[in-house]
Amino acid sequence: MFAIKPIYKYTAKLCENYLYSGSGEPEFSAVMTENDIAAEKSNAGAENFPDYYLESLAVFRKLCDYILSFRQGIIFHSSAIAVDGQAYLFTAPSGTGKSTHARLWREMLGDKAVMINDDKPIIRFVDGDFYVYGTPWNGKHHLDTNARAKIAAICEIRQGKENKIGKISPQEMLNVVFHQTIMPTELDKVDNLLAILDKMLTAVPLYRLECDISREAAELSYNAMVKGNIR
Amino acid sequence: MKIKNGFILREVAGSFIVVAVGEAVKDFKGIINLNETGAFLWKILESGATEEQLVAKLLEEYDVDEKTAAEDVGKFINKLSEAKLVK
Repeated sequence: MFAIKPIYKYTAKLCENYLYSGSGEPEFSAVMTENDIAAEKSNAGAENFPDYYLESLAVFRKLCDYILSFRQGIIFHSSAIAVDGQAYLFTAPSGTGKSTHARLWREMLGDKAVMINDDKPIIRFVDGDFYVYGTPWNGKHHLDTNARAKIAAICEIRQGKENKIGKISPQEMLNVVFHQTIMPTELDKVDNLLAILDKMLTAVPLYRLECDISREAAELSYNAMVKGNIR
Repeated sequence: MKIKNGFILREVAGSFIVVAVGEAVKDFKGIINLNETGAFLWKILESGATEEQLVAKLLEEYDVDEKTAAEDVGKFINKLSEAKLVK
């Protein structure tokens, strides 16, 4: 839960389910300025985005920085879906099909499956376990829940003609995760982030799924990750 | 020959990686995987060394013949030069 004072209504509306409403000080608060927006604009590819969108990115960046510095957490570009209180994270570069795969799980499992976040959840190490948290940055289908769930497994998705799933090594997953998180540039923050990844990749079961966009692929990944049956 | 400023070697989840920090991030946004030998040579190059010195250190540390050591060092240096990580 956090407080923000944005310049544009867009960001306030985006975050409305997560805004702090208590009486004490919120954990994290951000007052946005034109400088923040200008900083986002200077990033490659951002020149054409409207200012209100850039502001939401700036808020996100500040939140990530706070989470990394104070809350043993990172952001992880993935589709996080929870079944029976356990979360399964599908990760891949944009456009590969992780959101689609999560949707197939929802079609297969109905109410048993809950989307924690379809695009940019936060992962935190809390009391010896890794949890995934919903955030307002929930992808183009706007799917998220302001909740958290313990992470049961992480799965890299790749497009393939045949549906296959298998476990992969921490090193292999590290190369994937590296490109799906926000890397800080300051040395001490990078070390923080690497320490979190080190713990996460040795503690959580890691898979790679090669698949087409089919129900069969969803059944395969569900059986492997949730039921423990790897064909 | 020395590793340029802004590149750090770390061990994460049982394997060695190199990433850029600070200014170096502008030119290098990736991650490099090193095996044990690579990490060993990298650490020496952080303080600077010639190719001959690297081969000598490798021979001291590992049970390998000189020809193999020289080849391994040569290949490693080529990779680092191609990735523009050494000066």
